[in-house]
Amino acid sequence: MKRTPFYHKHLEYGGKLVDFAGWEMPVQYPAGIIQEHLTTRKTAGLFDVSHMGRFFIRGAKAAVFLDYALTNSAGGLEMGNSHYTILAQPDGGAVDDAWLYRFDDKGFVLVVNASNKEKDWKHLQSLAKSFTDVVLEDLSETRAMLALQGPKSEDILNTLLTGGTLPAPKRNAAGVAFFAGRQVRIGRTGYTGEPVCFEMMMEVADAEYLWDMLIKNGAAPVGLGARDTLRLEASLPLYGHEMGLDGEGKTIPILACPAARFAVTETKKTDFVGKAAIQRQLTALERYKKGDFSDCSDLPKRIVSLRILDKGVVRQGAKVFYQGQCVGDVTSGTMIPCWKPDESMRPTDQTDQRAIAMAYVDCRLTAGAEVEVDVRGRMLKAKSVRKNLRSAGRYAVAVFE
Amino acid sequence: MMVDKQARYLQTHEWVKKGPGKLMTIGLTAYAIEQLGDIVYMELPQAGKTLNRGDIFGVVESVKTASDMYSPVGGKVVEVNIAVPDNPDMLKTQAYGDAWLIRVEPSSPAEFNLLMDADAYEKFLQTEAH
Repeated sequence: MKRTPFYHKHLEYGGKLVDFAGWEMPVQYPAGIIQEHLTTRKTAGLFDVSHMGRFFIRGAKAAVFLDYALTNSAGGLEMGNSHYTILAQPDGGAVDDAWLYRFDDKGFVLVVNASNKEKDWKHLQSLAKSFTDVVLEDLSETRAMLALQGPKSEDILNTLLTGGTLPAPKRNAAGVAFFAGRQVRIGRTGYTGEPVCFEMMMEVADAEYLWDMLIKNGAAPVGLGARDTLRLEASLPLYGHEMGLDGEGKTIPILACPAARFAVTETKKTDFVGKAAIQRQLTALERYKKGDFSDCSDLPKRIVSLRILDKGVVRQGAKVFYQGQCVGDVTSGTMIPCWKPDESMRPTDQTDQRAIAMAYVDCRLTAGAEVEVDVRGRMLKAKSVRKNLRSAGRYAVAVFE
Repeated sequence: MMVDKQARYLQTHEWVKKGPGKLMTIGLTAYAIEQLGDIVYMELPQAGKTLNRGDIFGVVESVKTASDMYSPVGGKVVEVNIAVPDNPDMLKTQAYGDAWLIRVEPSSPAEFNLLMDADAYEKFLQTEAH
């Protein structure tokens, strides 16, 4: 199994190591998944995300190539910014979802899922053959990467800042800064639903030192277990669950995920892989918005968020029923902790837990619809909701209504 | 305490002890609880339910997984410890004590002798860990 530059830190902090996409990664530390989730929402969680694939794309035609290979408009991405994007298949399904950064004038950095890295690399290599002046470089194992997420993460980074500025003011801003004297490429990004969030890439030689400094200043290590509950509470899709192939082995159209809408620039003029199929999906979404479900062929099902109303936990594969009819199945689900918010939407010291899920269901199912989920033959009542989490100032707060 | 000398065990990490009286008490081992991590939900049977040896008597769910729990002996469920699903944290410290799960009136008490004793279970855990 492969080990990230933080392997010895995981051991030092008591991480329970598991095989994740060929990497020896901490699923949790002694605090446990629930506490790590809660800590991220209230203070700051530190995640080793060095297992994710990172490709450096440069050359005169880099933007033109990325515009063709990715759904979002790489050419429109300004220096000092980043965006969510998707590697599409010609049929409108996803090879993978990714984050594209433009930290400086040297090129682009594309961050992809660890489990898809080899596939993505081959996919991009083969598309790049038709372009000249494009250089692709795999930085995955020569750089370390950390995510620092949660309301206190900005304070922690400001304490350590020794040069440059934090990327600001908005989410997705990206740049280069120095922390404790070490150079870091940093973006105001993350996959936890936290409104205050950062992801950073650094030299392997600086990795452990920066980890120690971040912990010393108040960050707590968080494993992959809580990373999954955090993204699920925030209704963020995960490849292999809400993206890729569905339970029957069929391609999930990209725009079945509400979040994928942010990865598609409607006004993009240039051709890109999957364009025709994605445009048909966009048209279908427009029709659905007007209540017109006469043609559901391009987007028969969509990903929705569920809150389970009865006692119990629903998990991937469980069937969802609406008025007695099976309308789809659960793609992700578990019990997720939260802080109870006060009237001003700030977290109190009281915790609660909610069973939450995402499901791939009939496109006609609307938000607010009451459904049932079959859990080992027991039908649990659930509700389709717009969101389970919302931002209130620097906090991500549980939505209960 | 990873094992309790008085208990007998299944490879699926349930324990059973004799008592109180003619009843037998069943629970989940400390090892299983440690492996599961945070337990977020439990389903236990209703009193009165009849179980055969090896039947699923309930489900324990952590954040990551749902696991069935198997009955080490057959019998009628006479008592269910509902305090545990209400406060699964007690499993972490009282796996072999207050955090027992069900009590059964065994249909054939001799089934107890068919199970792994504490030493055998400890050896089994050592092989499981590698």
